[in-house]
Amino acid sequence: MMEIFNILEIIITSTLRMSVPLILASTGATFSMRSGVSDLGCEGMMIGGAFFGVLGSYIFDNAWIGLLFAALFGMLFALQHAVLHVTFKVNATLSGMSVNLLSAATATLLLQIIWGRHGNSPRVSAFSKIQADWLKKLPVIGEMLAEQNILFYLSLVIVILAWIYMFKTNSGLRLRMVGENPQAANTVGINVVAYKYFGVLMCGLLCGLGGAYLSLGQLNIFVDGMTGGRGYIAIVINAFGGFSPIGSLLGSLFFGFFESLQTIFQGKLIPSNIVRMMPYILTIIVLSIGIRSSKAPAGVGKYHDE
Amino acid sequence: MELIKMTNISKYFHHVVALDGVDFYLNKGEILSLLGENGAGKTTLMKILYGMISPDSGEIYYKGQKVNFHRPLDAINMGIGMVHQHFMLVPAFTVLENIVAGAEPSKGIFLDIEKAREEVGELIRRFNFNISLDDKVERLSVGEQQRVEILKALYRKAEVLILDEPTAVLTPTEVDEIFVILDELRKEGCSIVIITHKLKETFAIADRISVLRDGKMIANNVDPKKLSENELSKMMVGREINLGVKRPAKNIGKVRLRVKNLVVKDGGRKKVDNVSFDLRDGEILGIAGVEGNGQTELIEALTGLRRPESMELELNGKKLEGDANTFLRNKIGHVPEDRLAMGLVKEMSVKKNLILGYHREEDFCKNIFLDEKNIEKYAEDLKAKYGIKASHIEDPISALSGGNQQKVVIARTFSRDPDVLIVAHPTRGVDVGAIEYIHGKLLELRDRGKAILLISADLDEVMTLSDRILVLYEGKIVRECQQGELSDVELGLLMTGGNLEMALGGEI
Repeated sequence: MMEIFNILEIIITSTLRMSVPLILASTGATFSMRSGVSDLGCEGMMIGGAFFGVLGSYIFDNAWIGLLFAALFGMLFALQHAVLHVTFKVNATLSGMSVNLLSAATATLLLQIIWGRHGNSPRVSAFSKIQADWLKKLPVIGEMLAEQNILFYLSLVIVILAWIYMFKTNSGLRLRMVGENPQAANTVGINVVAYKYFGVLMCGLLCGLGGAYLSLGQLNIFVDGMTGGRGYIAIVINAFGGFSPIGSLLGSLFFGFFESLQTIFQGKLIPSNIVRMMPYILTIIVLSIGIRSSKAPAGVGKYHDE
Repeated sequence: MELIKMTNISKYFHHVVALDGVDFYLNKGEILSLLGENGAGKTTLMKILYGMISPDSGEIYYKGQKVNFHRPLDAINMGIGMVHQHFMLVPAFTVLENIVAGAEPSKGIFLDIEKAREEVGELIRRFNFNISLDDKVERLSVGEQQRVEILKALYRKAEVLILDEPTAVLTPTEVDEIFVILDELRKEGCSIVIITHKLKETFAIADRISVLRDGKMIANNVDPKKLSENELSKMMVGREINLGVKRPAKNIGKVRLRVKNLVVKDGGRKKVDNVSFDLRDGEILGIAGVEGNGQTELIEALTGLRRPESMELELNGKKLEGDANTFLRNKIGHVPEDRLAMGLVKEMSVKKNLILGYHREEDFCKNIFLDEKNIEKYAEDLKAKYGIKASHIEDPISALSGGNQQKVVIARTFSRDPDVLIVAHPTRGVDVGAIEYIHGKLLELRDRGKAILLISADLDEVMTLSDRILVLYEGKIVRECQQGELSDVELGLLMTGGNLEMALGGEI
């Protein structure tokens, strides 16, 4: 009996931990999609966040400044996407992929130049578990919550703020209108280009934070390829969650759960490689079945002036 | 009082004159009909007034003040609203969201949805709009969507309302409803411009008429009470127009196409339910019906675009099966119901669009390559023969007006000498001049012995052209009749599922 409870506790704790980068990135993707810009650059923005987060923390020996770096460089890579797609009307798939390629190459290159290393960075200051004894005392969930670091709580706040913004404010309504029908938005005097830039940059910011969670929240180094396609998974989660922040949160927990199974099953009955495939298999299943009912904003990829 | 004055407005698109020194004015509290054929420049003129297009020359005065609108918002802020032909709505939003978006009432940064509801509700009551604020726009009928567009303008305190082809997509009942609303707005002091090419409606509602032709203002101050329909159409087109004259078929020949037991299912429902008919040489067989009663599926089955659940199709007494290409090669021509979605490739040139679907045929090909020279000659030839108004055959098809786009579809299909023609809504969104032309072509082909199946939502069109009429209701043929056998009221009754014997007390 006790053992089952323990396993459950481990799974939930691990699910929450695995979910955070997905929550941040898929909420970012929500901003992009709602502004009518396809969000294929998420992976690259996450890599940017993961790498520059470590660099910032390395330079200033402070994880928070690392986080700031992650946000800024996530936005910088997003800016590339926005300039190409929104201003110069490059196909969003191409400009998104260009972000992914450039940021992955940048990280590898800078690892070499700055530290002269292949594959991973040196250790830097990172985020640790929050120090809150009162939290531990909460029944049942206390232990699980206390295992998380501050970024977990930050991501929950971000989801709630994002939801309020999108569905309760004037600006959110306009953002959604731009994503649904840019021409209509233009005819009622909404600055379509500005909203698209905003949507994409928010996506970069949140994906950057999501990437930083991987390098500064789960570990304390940057490892080449550490995002492991989570940016793409976030895109799927976002669609799965109906392009809403709350939906993205729930979808992320769902995916996080399957990712967490590997911590349980590792070395046990099932070969670990099989277990590690779970999130990706799930992605394919969701792509082929789950997303059919989810309707993307109608104006994705459309411009107001054509 | 003169509310708006536009003087000497000119506009060129790639050196083609769209507007040539046009003067225009609008008085307070009147309904003006801006009349003209497609491509005459009506929409361009109004888009200039609305700040969507900037003129190359000319001046605009609003309430005596010279104004310069750089974008629609400038016009909106001055109290000018426009309802576009293609509605600018967000289907996924509610009616309320659509109306207020861009000019929302707010509490700080938050949307004050209650205040919005109050304000829009007030407008709805004032003008008897009969629309529910919480419905998603995607679930509304076209007529209701139009009312949302009008509300959008009124909510922004529009004193001038421009409506681009407001009745083009409406059913007759909806047209009556919108006219009641416009009349109400006029009484409240609103000034309204209706862009149209429909004479009947112009006479029904307009206080004054301005006529544009080929980018020139032909007449600026026509009193609808003082002119007949014929005089006006002559003014608009530049020559006499003859519509609605019946020319019965003289020599109906043998059966060309025999359709038996046609069933088309879609999502488990029978869209076409066991339809059988013969189509003979030298006749036009009309299909009358309210849209969505199986016409689309019928057309798709008869042109090879869709495999029906069951169908025995005989062409010239021989069984016919295959895909769209097979049907084309067997000389079954197709004028699709939606020219932009199915009939044309928007990005391609007029020239390429004129051979689409027939591009594999010998006279367009040299081995595996396209024979550009021949195609060019062919396209120039058709352009002249069918009077397609395009500055050049290399222009993209999207640069042409709707009527001219339709002429391209017609020219392509008709000139490949088909034996059977499946023609769907051939004159939808097309001006009087082009309608007359297309009708004439259809009758000419029929008299040359072609078998023509005409599907149209326009009952007048079906009744004028057809030698025989089938009434389609919920996928079934509920009645077959000869030309002139049934009145429009009787046909209308059958089209909506009515029963003549019951309605008319067994007289028939």
